Amino acid sequence: MTGPEASVGGDPVLVVACKEFVELVTEHLDGTLPTRLDQAIAAHLELCEPCVHYLEQMRGTVSLLGTLPRETLSPAVRNQLLDVYARLHRGPSGAP
Amino acid sequence: MQKPADRTTPGVVSSVVAAGHPGGSEPQSDLLERLRAGDRESFADLVDGWSPALLRVALLYVSTRASAEEIVQDTWLAVISQLDRFEGRSSLKTWVFRILENLARTRGRREARSVPWSSAFPEPREPDGGRPTVDPRRFRGPEDRWPGGWTLVGRPTRWQPPPDDAAVSADLRRHLSHALAELPERQRTVVELRDVHGLSSDEVCERLALTAANQRVLLHRGRARLRTRLEAVYRDKETDYDRP
Repeated sequence: MTGPEASVGGDPVLVVACKEFVELVTEHLDGTLPTRLDQAIAAHLELCEPCVHYLEQMRGTVSLLGTLPRETLSPAVRNQLLDVYARLHRGPSGAP
Repeated sequence: MQKPADRTTPGVVSSVVAAGHPGGSEPQSDLLERLRAGDRESFADLVDGWSPALLRVALLYVSTRASAEEIVQDTWLAVISQLDRFEGRSSLKTWVFRILENLARTRGRREARSVPWSSAFPEPREPDGGRPTVDPRRFRGPEDRWPGGWTLVGRPTRWQPPPDDAAVSADLRRHLSHALAELPERQRTVVELRDVHGLSSDEVCERLALTAANQRVLLHRGRARLRTRLEAVYRDKETDYDRP
């Protein structure tokens, strides 16, 4: 077990509290945290089930956002564009 | 680095992924060659893969769906006609989005909605600047044996069934859409571009002229609010969802 004062090879070991983890979770998911902090988070998650749930909930929220319906071009406009493309860039597989 | 969610159908992936590669890279050159040779399928992949995000970005400049769709249409026409002249210094994706933004800016000015996004919703209007994203009452105080740890009643519990379970996903999606619509404008825009449309953080920063740090804060606060909302849905529905 590590406490706030614990150290390895002279370097103080970072300890992350739950309250801090929830504010670091986005950077943790993006992989933009400094290595030491990411290691501290990994150590925290090993021991803290509620934070694992929190992380999972954040992941679940992001995944669900990725399934929300998105507006796009109407099929008519889309097909028109493909026709224009085919007219201007004729090739072996593109010939109408 | 976490890759943005790939929203395209399996066959679409290769062209769309290649087009995100840096200019001059091999996948990019291969794709350009295919596009210039008239590979209709590759072009269709790009149109299908990017049009939703292009439409969303266009709406940062103009106020109606019809105008935005015209801008996206004009963007693809410009891409078609300039494809042979594209030098490939940037990625194809960057090039396409820049064409869109130039067209959208012109159009936005004409429609008198020329105020750029960043000045329309400036920083100080963010209502919850540096405040915690989780209710502090859910954590133990500084005098506790575990300062900053979850309290017994405050700790998150497993979402059961998980959000992607067909039994709950439609209902959760409905709540999520409502919650998303209610986010502060800047947070909503960043969350939509990142998580709904799958743009990378770099892309979002460029589209919205944000620093990496600001983008991260907006994304974090937005996502945290949405999670809180879903958590409330799970709590309210506990009895419903637990029923076999």
